[in-house]
Amino acid sequence: MATSMELRCWGGDWGLPSIHTESLVVLAYAKFSGAKLTVAPIDWTWRTLTGTVPELVCQGSTVTEPAQILNYLRKLRFNADYELSARQGADTMAYIALLEEKLRPALLHTFWVDTENYSSLTRPWFASRSPFPLNFLVPGHHANTALSRILLTKSDSPLHTITEVEGKIYSEAKECLNLLSHRLGTAYYFFGNTPCSLDAFVFGFLAPLHKASLPSSPLQNHLRQLENLQRFCDHILNAHFSSHPGSPQPVQETVDANLQKLTQLVNKESNLIEKMDDNLRSSPQHKPFRADPRPSPSNSTGSTPA
Amino acid sequence: MTLMLSVPLTLSNFSCYSPVCIDSSHFIMSLAAEAFVSQIAAAEPWPENATLYQPLREDQILLSDCASSLAVQAYLRMCNLPVQVSYRPNAEYMSPSGKVPFVHVGNQVVSELGPIVQFTKAKGHSLSDGLDDVQRAEMKAYMELVNNMLLTAELYIQWCDDNTAAEISRPRYSSPYSWPLNHILAYQKQWEVRRKMTAVGWAGKNLEQVYEDVSQCCQALSQRLGTQPYFFNKQPTELDALVFGHLFTILTTRLTSDELSEKVKSYSNLLAFCRRIEQSYFEDSQAGSSSRGYSKGPSLF
Repeated sequence: MATSMELRCWGGDWGLPSIHTESLVVLAYAKFSGAKLTVAPIDWTWRTLTGTVPELVCQGSTVTEPAQILNYLRKLRFNADYELSARQGADTMAYIALLEEKLRPALLHTFWVDTENYSSLTRPWFASRSPFPLNFLVPGHHANTALSRILLTKSDSPLHTITEVEGKIYSEAKECLNLLSHRLGTAYYFFGNTPCSLDAFVFGFLAPLHKASLPSSPLQNHLRQLENLQRFCDHILNAHFSSHPGSPQPVQETVDANLQKLTQLVNKESNLIEKMDDNLRSSPQHKPFRADPRPSPSNSTGSTPA
Repeated sequence: MTLMLSVPLTLSNFSCYSPVCIDSSHFIMSLAAEAFVSQIAAAEPWPENATLYQPLREDQILLSDCASSLAVQAYLRMCNLPVQVSYRPNAEYMSPSGKVPFVHVGNQVVSELGPIVQFTKAKGHSLSDGLDDVQRAEMKAYMELVNNMLLTAELYIQWCDDNTAAEISRPRYSSPYSWPLNHILAYQKQWEVRRKMTAVGWAGKNLEQVYEDVSQCCQALSQRLGTQPYFFNKQPTELDALVFGHLFTILTTRLTSDELSEKVKSYSNLLAFCRRIEQSYFEDSQAGSSSRGYSKGPSLF
């Protein structure tokens, strides 16, 4: 299919192609099914306020919402679920519903309602990616939407405040993570050896939580205890998104840098010793076959490091 | 004031054990209160006079509430726990969470299927003990599927579709009250439900898309059920109770159009499933009249 498809979504950071859950779902599914999408980030455009994200533009028609976009891609024969049995397809729907009901409120709370995370991470990120004067409006708008969604769907009565539902939504989210971990087991993907739409959805939900540097997050701490889910996210990032400039594992790079510095120092030392050896050998007072690497007393630099 | 609190919850109904960093005392209170309540619940056996409250069956109750109530009744029957059903017009306001049904057991009042399942588990009655972790994950996922799709679709059809809202939902919901309270309460409820639909993103859907979603959900349930008698092994679980509650109510309720029940009827194994549970657990409830009369629920119009 040579049709050009453009996906409008939020930009990427922290090693991810996009930090927005729904956009990540669509991007992951496109990679799994082999669809070529040109990614058009809506950062620094007015679409940050007016547009619905993610949005797929193809031959004049626009499709929004991950489920609809995935259906549209399937109709264009980009189908990552081709090898699933009917029962696995039903399981996919059920697990996606589980993610939406149990995990999404806690994720919304972690990123948008928790004051520490919101003021130190989420709001500066979104404000820095929106043009003036939208940088004052966009984060607040999203935060209000998130709060109202949590209160309307999870709180027992409209008059309750957010603190009373916090405990409930976090315990449900932790249970959901445990259930996903049990279901994944030791495999790389949820169904067999090839990724499918459920993997895309789980990746979209978990990857921001896994990669963002949140100051205070009990949910992220809980995720750190579930190694197979972390391995799942890292594997998908390495296997499908590794050519992206925002590659993962920045921690290893700093380790490598230290190693490089140490290597350079050792090299410098050995160069110095070699020079001294050369001087020794080329010196006319000593016989040429004397291969002692002992630094001569005439050399005043000595062997102590500078 | 931040506290690091490690809560070793040893009760069987809590599956998370993790150090918790909290900012407000409300969180400690709710978690500790839940643990405390569960310990109290475990202390006493199930009494004989447990009561389940729901709105009036003939005039007032709506499709979604009837489905939830039937699911709870089916679950309690599957656990062999006796419960009397009491019909009150203000059941919704009596409920601690604002949702029906709720059960009054001993000293405690618990509403909605999820908390009731945990409550009965604390008392030692559970249908899902025989499941391993993967199966339990599947069961919870399918229960969320039913809640996410079927329940939301029922609410949408009742309150966001103007025809149904004007002809059925508003008159029925406000039938116990006199003017002007009936108008106020009905419109208030409609406004609340529409706000919730907007929050979860269903406000932009039209009726056809909602019917399509119901059909897909039923297809998933049908494929999962296959030819088995129940969803897991040979024993029913809370998932069976929930699915039965919703599907049976959809099949036996008349709305402005039959399209919803037609969508469910096209899956024959789901029909057989509903009939099987009805015959096994509800046959002995009504002396004389057929069991369909008991759970016929709201025959609207």
